[in-house]
Amino acid sequence: MSQSLRPYLTAVRYSLEAALTLSNFSSQEVERHNRPEVEVPNTSAELLLQPMQIARNENDQVLIEPSVNSVRVSIKVKQADEIEQILVHKFTRFLEQRAEAFYILRRVPIKGYSISFLITNYHTETMKTNKLVDFIIEFMEEVDKEISEMKLFLNARARFVAEAYLGEFVY
Amino acid sequence: MDQDWRRIDIDAFDPESGRLTEKDLIPPYPNNVTLQDIEPTINQLRNLASSGDSISAIKLATSDPPYSGDENVKYQYFLAVMTALSQVKQSDITNIIKQLSPKQQDVLIKYLYKGMAVKETQKQGGVLLAWFEKLTQVAGINPVVHYINDRKTV
Repeated sequence: MSQSLRPYLTAVRYSLEAALTLSNFSSQEVERHNRPEVEVPNTSAELLLQPMQIARNENDQVLIEPSVNSVRVSIKVKQADEIEQILVHKFTRFLEQRAEAFYILRRVPIKGYSISFLITNYHTETMKTNKLVDFIIEFMEEVDKEISEMKLFLNARARFVAEAYLGEFVY
Repeated sequence: MDQDWRRIDIDAFDPESGRLTEKDLIPPYPNNVTLQDIEPTINQLRNLASSGDSISAIKLATSDPPYSGDENVKYQYFLAVMTALSQVKQSDITNIIKQLSPKQQDVLIKYLYKGMAVKETQKQGGVLLAWFEKLTQVAGINPVVHYINDRKTV
């Protein structure tokens, strides 16, 4: 792991661990409803806690929004150029379309971020909290590697195609 | 009447509904700090930071932040704290944090989070993350938990 990545992931880990103390909390607005308070337009400000933004630089950020019964984690994946923008968009969209299989994945990222997770008290009750944290940390580690790998692969393939195609015109 | 009266939220007009807004959560302050009040502190902070006395600078920065000031007051103070933080040598950070009281550590983490949230200072993310890592090594998760639940913002 690179020298600058480690403090970043440590900060995210501590912030997540602190935020993931969730309790079962019924809605104060609607009877017999139990909804993630961070997601609904809220009329009671006391249910939302201080949001935490962790940034390595402008392109690499995590936003953690805690509330009484849910936490929303949004990740901005590094996008250096247009190819990476397209790759990140396609990659996150691929995951989001299969959000049911990931349980904590949000179908739409919040504005300005590449991918969002929504962890509710249901998830922390049925799964191990520290494994959830591990999962998000591992995701952040892997996604950068994955994107740069895809970019290399894409470039190699484009070069091969161009050679094969333009080879036709060489006499 | 053009407004659909069924959609009017009548509870919002009831003072005893028990709903809290953002404003209700801010603790009451005896007096509001103005820019003139904190000007001397900011200058002192800058002097300490530039003279290399980083321990006193960080102690001063974290002992009495302008909680009751408006956005501009907080921002000016925040910029001074950021210069102080960025001038500390990497090797001194742990030593300084060990000399802070738990209260001062809680204030320090507020500035670290704010520094990473404000666009102008995000470029210094590396420095702030180094501070954050050292702080959690010394104090563990406590400052983070205090930060989440504290309504006094910097």
